[in-house]
This record gives sequence, structure tokens and C-alpha cells, in this order.
Amino acid sequence: MENTIFYGLAGVLIVMSILTVSVQNLLHAAISLIGSFFATAALYIVFQMEFVALAQIMIYIGGIVIFMVITILLTAQLGARNLFPKTPLQRSWGLTVCALLFAVLWWVAKQGDAPTPGATAPEPATLAAIGHRLLAADGTGFLVPFEVISLLLLTALVGAVVVARRDPEPEAAETPSAEQALRREEETS
Amino acid sequence: MTLENSIILSFILFSIGVYGMLTRRQLIGLLLSIEIILNGANINFIAFAHFRAVDPTAGAIFPIFVMAISAAEMAVALAIVIAMHRQTNNKLDIQQLRRLNG
Repeated sequence: MENTIFYGLAGVLIVMSILTVSVQNLLHAAISLIGSFFATAALYIVFQMEFVALAQIMIYIGGIVIFMVITILLTAQLGARNLFPKTPLQRSWGLTVCALLFAVLWWVAKQGDAPTPGATAPEPATLAAIGHRLLAADGTGFLVPFEVISLLLLTALVGAVVVARRDPEPEAAETPSAEQALRREEETS
Repeated sequence: MTLENSIILSFILFSIGVYGMLTRRQLIGLLLSIEIILNGANINFIAFAHFRAVDPTAGAIFPIFVMAISAAEMAVALAIVIAMHRQTNNKLDIQQLRRLNG
């Protein structure tokens, strides 16, 4: 039963990911990315990682992909001649490189020994355990990375606002001066 | 459902993402491919944490950091996309965006 679910989800995940990279319309690609993230979240539940599955749905689907869809709608003029088709040369190059990469990864993974499983059967990671570990200040906890990540997120958000902000001064300075110059020319003539 | 199959799954996702990065020409298409690559890496972490870890809680925490960093990355990257769209006003074709070429 578990096997069937795993292989079904893996198939859905791979199909959705291939759609994401191959569909020409960016909006359709983003929607199939949402599908692949849902399949991933289901896979995490199969792996008994409920918290990661919830975080996947909330952060990726609820945050990042929605943000991407909004940006696509803002910037890419869909429907205009904006669908760059892939040439067969590009496609074959990409396929060759990614097949080679897969082969190399597979070969390297075959070389190493898999780590032996722990002696005792580990208990699945529950929500409470994850919360305690995340904020534990002793040697096993993750308090310092947690705080550093929060700083990084704050910095990134402020930086994003600064980068995307429209700069009002040059435009406001340019247009009146051009008009004034025109007026001056008219007055002098 | 073994560790080996999960690792193969994450390799396949990684390769699909690299294929997308090599063949897409839109700037946002590249970001979508990066998301697929990170997704494959997360599946790898989770699979090892589920099958082999003595302490799966630590293995479950690491992908959460990956998610937070990718959220920060996407915020900055999409801000750059919007700024480039405003300045160049073209269709964000990466073969025409040559201002940052070395």
C-alpha cells in the first residue's frame, strides 16, 4: 500500500516537474509547479514528516508560487509574442547535459556506502519535538541558525523593497525640465 | 519505497531542473527551475532523515531552513525581475539582458 502511494506520487511529481520546465506559457508552468509542490507535500506525509509537509504547503504554495504568479502577471505580457520556443538544438543540448548529470550523480551515489541505520527504531519527528529542538539553547538545538535565518529574511525583504522601488526623483526631474526646455525654445523663437 | 528509490527520485528532479535552466529563455522560467532543483534537494534530506537517521527531528528541521532561504532568494530575485522589467521594458529575454554580463 505504502509502495503504491509512493510510486504514484513520484510519478505525479516527475510529470508535473517536466511540465514546469517544458510548457511555453509561464503561467501554466507556475500552475504545474504548484501541482508538483502538492505532490511533494504528500510525499513528505508518506515519509512521516507532517510538519515539513505543512511548511511546504504554506511557504512554497502559499507564499513563493503565489508571489511568482503575481510577478508573471505583472511583467510577462502573456499572449503577446512572448513565448520563446526552444530550438531543437537547445533541447538536445539540455537533454544531453541533464542525462550526463543524472548518470554522474547516480555513479557517485553508487560508489559511497549508505550509512547504516540507527540501532533503535527512531521515533517519527512530531510537531512538539521539532518545536523544542528548534528553540533549544543547548548543544543539540537550532536556536542560533533560527535567529540568523530570521535576520536574513528581514534583510532580504528590506532589500527586495529597495530594489523594486520606483525611483521618483529622476523621472520627476526629467519630464518637467524637458517640457521647460521646449517652452523656452518656443518662447525664444 | 526504499532509500535508493527516493534518492533516484531526487536525482531525477535535480536533472529536470537543470534541463529547465539550460533551455528556458525567460528570466522567471529560470526561477521556476531553481525551485525544482531545491525541491529535489529537500526530498533527499527528508528521505535520509526518514530511512537512516538516528534523530529524524534534526533531519526534519534542515529542509525548513532551506525553505526559508529559498523564500528570501525568491523575494530578492523577483524584485530584480520587476526592476529589470521597469528599466528595460522588454520581455525579460535572458539573451537580451546583457547589462550584467562580465
